[in-house]
This record gives sequence, C-alpha cells and structure tokens, in this order.
Amino acid sequence: MRAVRRERDRYARHPVRHVLARGFWRLLGLAALAAVAAALAPVTLAAAAAAAAGWWRGWPPRRLYAVAAWCLPMTAAWLATVAAWPARVAGSAAAGAPLAGALPAGVGPGPWWLRVAAAPYRAWLASWQLAAHGHLAAAAVAAAPPAVPLGVLAGGLAWQYRLFRMRTGAGGLTPAAPATFDSRLWRRQVRTAKALLAAPGALPLISRNGLVVTGAAIRSVRHRGGPGRAAAIPYPRLRSHQVVIGSTGTGKTTLLLRLWAGFMAAGLRGYAAGGANRPLLVVLDCKGGASSRKVADRTRRVLRDAGARSTAIWPDEASLSLWTLPPGQLVTTLLDLIEHGTGGAAYYTDVMEAIVSLAVGAPCGPPVCSADFLARLDPGWLAASYAASGDGAAVATIRSGKRGFEDVELRFRALWRRLGAGLDGGGSFGDADAWYCVLEGTAEGAVAEAQARALTDLLAHYAVSGQREILLAVDEFSAVSRRLPIWRLYERARALGLAVQVSAQSWEGLADTDDERHRIAATAEGGIWLLRTPRPGPVSELAGTRSYVDTTRRFAGQGAWAGDGMSRTRLVPVLDADIVRQLDVGQAAYVYRGGVTYVQVKRLTGRQAALAPAAGDAPTMPLPAVAVPTQWPPAPPPPPDASEVLDEAFGARRE
Amino acid sequence: MTLAVRDADALVFAADMYGIPFDQLAVLTGGDRSARAAARRWRDLGYADTARLTEGPAWLWVTRAGLAACGREYQARKPALPQLAHIRAVAATRIALEATGAYRRASAFWRCERRIRARHGRGIRQHLPDGEVHWPDSAPVAWAGECWAIEAEVTPKTVARTTAIMREILTRTGDYGCPAAEAAVPGRPPRHARALYLCSPAALTTVLNARALLGPLAARIEVRDLPPGAQP
Repeated sequence: MRAVRRERDRYARHPVRHVLARGFWRLLGLAALAAVAAALAPVTLAAAAAAAAGWWRGWPPRRLYAVAAWCLPMTAAWLATVAAWPARVAGSAAAGAPLAGALPAGVGPGPWWLRVAAAPYRAWLASWQLAAHGHLAAAAVAAAPPAVPLGVLAGGLAWQYRLFRMRTGAGGLTPAAPATFDSRLWRRQVRTAKALLAAPGALPLISRNGLVVTGAAIRSVRHRGGPGRAAAIPYPRLRSHQVVIGSTGTGKTTLLLRLWAGFMAAGLRGYAAGGANRPLLVVLDCKGGASSRKVADRTRRVLRDAGARSTAIWPDEASLSLWTLPPGQLVTTLLDLIEHGTGGAAYYTDVMEAIVSLAVGAPCGPPVCSADFLARLDPGWLAASYAASGDGAAVATIRSGKRGFEDVELRFRALWRRLGAGLDGGGSFGDADAWYCVLEGTAEGAVAEAQARALTDLLAHYAVSGQREILLAVDEFSAVSRRLPIWRLYERARALGLAVQVSAQSWEGLADTDDERHRIAATAEGGIWLLRTPRPGPVSELAGTRSYVDTTRRFAGQGAWAGDGMSRTRLVPVLDADIVRQLDVGQAAYVYRGGVTYVQVKRLTGRQAALAPAAGDAPTMPLPAVAVPTQWPPAPPPPPDASEVLDEAFGARRE
Repeated sequence: MTLAVRDADALVFAADMYGIPFDQLAVLTGGDRSARAAARRWRDLGYADTARLTEGPAWLWVTRAGLAACGREYQARKPALPQLAHIRAVAATRIALEATGAYRRASAFWRCERRIRARHGRGIRQHLPDGEVHWPDSAPVAWAGECWAIEAEVTPKTVARTTAIMREILTRTGDYGCPAAEAAVPGRPPRHARALYLCSPAALTTVLNARALLGPLAARIEVRDLPPGAQP
C-alpha cells in the first residue's frame, strides 16, 4: 500500500520563477508606497524630517510622539477656524467670487461638520494647486496644520520600527548590522547629551520640580527619560545609601561633587521651606596628599555656590573633639583606635580595656583632651582617685593590672602623636554645613583607618541628636575598609537619619571580603553609580535581567544571508557590561531598581574658578575658620547718635 | 517737549517708589499746579499714567517708556491696591528724610526697595527692607559711611515675625542678591549699622515689643513715628 503525501513538494516551484515573482511583487509594493508617498508629499516630508531627527539625535520614538501631540493645538485651532469661517464668504468663494484667493487653505462650503471633515482634503488640494503655480512656501503653510502632526507621528512610527528591527536583530543586511547600528546610535546619543550639557542654563543643579540634576541622559533602560533629557534623581535617593565605583580619571570626583552639591542645595531648600532639618555633608577623603587638598578646595567652592554657609577642612583648618563622646562610647572608640590581637593576645586586649575603662570612668568625670587621658594612665593617680570615692573594687583592679599601665600609656601616646590634633580640638560637626576630612590613607594607612573609625563614631553620636540630615561620603574607601566596617553603620544609619555614600575605584575596593562587598552594594537603596571600571560584572548581576529577542539568520552558503531565520526570547543583563567598560570620561551608569540610565555628568565649577587669581593670591577666598564653635562676634558698640537728622525728619524717638 | 530738572527728579522718584500720590508729587514739584502740569507733560510723553485708584488723591505711576527714560530696568506695572498705603508711607518717609539739612549736606543716597528687588534673585523668599540710606564716607556727620535699613510699619505684624525681621536685618553681612553663603557670615561687619522703623500708631507697640526681645542688638534699632502725610 502506498502512502499519500498531502503537502506540496518542496521543489514543486521553479526556483528562478519563484525569485522573479517575489522580486516583482516587492517592486510593485515599493511602487505603490512611492505613489502614496508622492501623493501625500507634505506628510512624507514631515515624516522623513521627524525620522531623520530621531536618528540624528538618537531620540526614543516617544519623544517624536510627544512632538506630534504638541502640534495638535495648531491643528485644532486650524479646524476651529475652518468651522467658524463665515459660510457666506466660503460659499461665494466656492462659486468663483473674487474673494476666492483670500480664503485660507481648507476652507470651503458646507455645514460645519462637513467643513471639518473635508478640511484636510481641501488643504491638500490647495497645497498642490499652490505648488503647481510655484508658490512652494505657501503650499507648505497650507498643508502644515494636518500634515505636520501626521508626518511627525508617521516618522515616529517608522523610527520605532527601525529600532525594533535592529533591537531584535532582524534589521540590516548582515547579522553584524544591529551591533554596528547600536554603536553608532550610542555615539549620536552621546553627542546629543553633550550638546545639552553645552546649552547654557539647560541643566540647573536643582530642577523646577526639586529633583537633583546630575547631567544629561545618554540612554536609559527601564528608566524614564532618555537622550536629550536631563538625568535627575529625587532628593530622597541622596538620603539613602549609594555606591560609586569608578577607576582613576573617569570623572568620579566630578560626579561626587555634583551629588554633594545637589544634596546640599536640595537639603537647604527643604530646610528653608520648614520641611526638613538642615543638611550636613561629611566627606571622608581617604586618599590624602595634595590632590585631596585640591578637591577639598573645589568642594568648598561648589558647596558655597550651592548655599552652604561654611565648609570645614579637617584637620588642616578645623578640628573635632573625640572627648565629647559619652564615656561608654568613648571607651569603645579608644580601644578600636588601637589594633589589638586575638587568641593569645586577647589577654592584653582585656587588660587594655580594663585600664581604659577605669581612666575614662574615673570619679572626676571623663577626660577632656588627650593630655588629660594620658595623665590618667598612671596607676598611682587612678588608685588615689578611686580610693577617694570609696571604690575598693576599682582600686584592687588597678593594683592587679599595674604592670600593664606602662604599655597602654606607651601605645596611646604613640597613637595621639600620629593622629595629630585633629581629634583633640573643640569643634563639633554642627559647626559647619559641610566637613571635608582629609585622611592620609596613601601615606599612613593605619593612621587613616584609626581616624576614619573615630570620625564615624563621632558622626554616629552626633546623628543621634537628630538635628541634621546627614550624608556621609567615604571616598577611596578601600584605604580604610579593613578597619571601618561601613556595613555596620549602614544597618543603623537609617534610624539615625544618616545616609552613607561609599566610593571606590573598583568592586574589590568596596570591602575586604566578597560577602561585605555584596552586602554594601545590595543595600545601596539610593542606587549604584558605575563609571568606567574593568570589572562591572558583580554590579551587572545585581542590576538584574531583562528579556531580549535574539534572531538568527540562515546563511545560504553564497552571497547575502537569507531573509528567514528564528527568533527567541532570552534574558540578558539590564546593565551592559561592555558599555560600562567603554564609558568615556564623565560618563556614568546609574543603576536603580532593575533599570539603568547612562549619564553624561555635568561638571560643576565653583564661582571663583571662573576668575583668574592674581599671582600670589590664594585660589579661593578663605571662609571663616570653624575650628572652634562658631559664635557671632560680640555686639558692636551702639552706633553714633543720629538724633539730629531723625528728630528733624520724624520727631522724637519712641521708647 | 523737555523736562525741567525738578520734574525729572520727581519722575525718577515716582519710578523708584512704584508710584506716587498727587499730594506727595506736589511736595516734590513745589505745588499742586506744578504737579498737575508735570503729570500732564509726562502723560503726553508717554512716560507716566494716572488714575484715581482709591479714596483720596489720584496716583501717578511710570510707564515702560518712562522707566526707560529714567534708566531703570524695572517691570512697569500699576501700583497694586493693597500696597498703596505702604507705598505712600515709604514715600513720605523718604520725602521727610531727604528734606533734612543733614541728608542734603551729606549727599546721602536712598536705595529704594524696587531697586533692591531688581537685583535680588527671583523666587527667593527673603525679607527686603523698604529702603536703604547710604551715607557717604566723606559726609560731615558722625555716622558717615553707615548704611541704614528703613522699615515703614503701617499695619502690625506679630512680635515674633517683627523680631525675626529685625534680627535678619541687623545680622546681615552681604548685599541683597549676593550668594547665600555671603548673606550672613560670622565675623564680618554687618551691612546695616542701624535699622530705622517708622511706625503708625497701630504698629508702634508691636515694634517696641519686638525690639525689647533683641537684647544688645536693640541699640541699633531706631523707632519713630511715621511723618505727616504718610497716611491719607
């Protein structure tokens, strides 16, 4: 028995005839399309211009749709004019009266609904007639009301179709075309963003609706906005933890300055409106050296323009007092300042903890400065002090640990000599709007670690008072990450009204262990800023994935690729690691809530930077020192008596 | 048609003060008849406009062309009805002060609120004084070099608000429109050596109570009655 095949044979059609037929129908379609395009020339021209603008600027199609929508009032006004045009005049014009030439395009006889319905057709006819007589400008004006919004809409649709084809890998002549298209589109989007940066006044620090503007958006994935728009984030995100990662020379400092100035300006605005506490910015620059001083100077100028009353540079111009900590916290901080071992060395740690506790908790009150503290590390003095208050147990402890006093005193004396006077002054974080703390992390890593630990403890203690909205920015965190467990601060910072911003040159610089790195990055509720870095992979993983249509093409073996293939959906990272690796100076990727926006950061320059300083002048006008608690100067003497003029003008003084 | 020197001064005065009632214009021009003549000339030139805005004498204000002729870059507008009483009080204060011998000998300068506001950034909520009087350093008076803030109080505010305004005026170190960081810098000399409060009977008690809360700063607050003509 013979099986019967119902489907047609694959080779039933002649291949040459098949190709010829296919080409014929395609040519026929193209000819029809060209005829329609020629007939609707005004719409075609507007569509071509819109699509070309979208391509040239790298705009998303929705921007063209918005342009079309903004053209609708013009069309509505035109239709209203057509409907309201006096019927007598329109009718006489249609009858060939001399007024015919004075009628606007689209106007004609009939009831109002017919006029509105027929207006586009009549305008189209009028434009062709005008064009036929050589009045091209008049023809364009006649056709504009209906043709411009339609054309822009059609251009947007065409541009969206082109983007869709390229994004899914189905467009272009070769499989490599989508990748080439994307890289060229990126270049055009960067150019558009840079043009926005160059436009005067286009990117203020704070937008009209109170957002902090960081720069111009280059491209966004799963975020609102896009090329040619300002990239802005709401102030509350700056009040949340953030992470900034970028190699040296990628524009990290520029981005940080922008974020700090935005925090200060938006915070002061909220404070002025009575809706929030006064902002306080504390920067720990853990690199040190001359470059940090330059950044500090620039920060001061930028913050000053943002409204900050004063910026204290620690420890060069201002100092803080470690001794304002409550006794219990002071003991912990003092012990943390000194490295101590575990295992067999734990015995010495316990001895040190006991001695420091006794010195801080002496009956006469906690120490007020380092000299006072060192003076107390004398067993004779401490024993006499506690004996006078009748504390026999403390006296016994002092006597039993008498041999350890010398060692403890020696270690703390060396520590204070290395720390300097920065933590031994009389200042407080409340004395200034911003503190820029320079830690010599490069030259003296151990000292910087101790300083960072002391400063964060002081700040945490100050934050408990709840008087300020605080942003702690730790730059070059890797220099102090060994002994500054910032993630611990993360966990209690929210309750303290303290936001933490950590910046490092690489993913590895965020913390010592991968667990801590992930903990820091995963809890960055305010987002992650990624500048050019060789290893963006971990952040890319954190950013999540999105669905992506991948299309394959069949290669026939000769000539071009065939038009058939297969598409499938797969998940790809939201953050394109290759783009991050190739980011230029001043470009950053902002990762937030499963989306990413690529930003061209707008550089902020302090006001004085525009002026060329005279030879020998300081680069900026120094602000008043804030090393000591700021107070208004004593009231000046009463002004001289001006009764002569006041009595003459206004009579006697009223008391 | 040209303006007499006195007319030109009066026109600039009217431009600086937002507007001026005819009785005060008469004081500036030397009489009712000359005031009406000046107003007519200004109207013919397109420099000013007049109208009876409320009970009492008519008001005159300077148009855009008049502001341009005066070299002022203010926005031309008719005086607002709720501000008429205050504008009249400030103008009367200025007229009374400028009429004193010490003011003329010293060639002092009145910097009006409209001028201060023009330099001040838009959208920034901040109290501006009704005027400033700058006494040149070379003036033959004991208070040469001082800058006074002038406040005309027609209706009473709360004591707390008045105290806050007084404190702001007396502790300010920067000019209006300066960067926020320079507005009040500890250690710098204050901008206003004293503040002169001219009070209506209704506002006098509030101002005196507010001054009493200032402590040592109160020595720099002068409180006087509004001059005659400040209230219609």
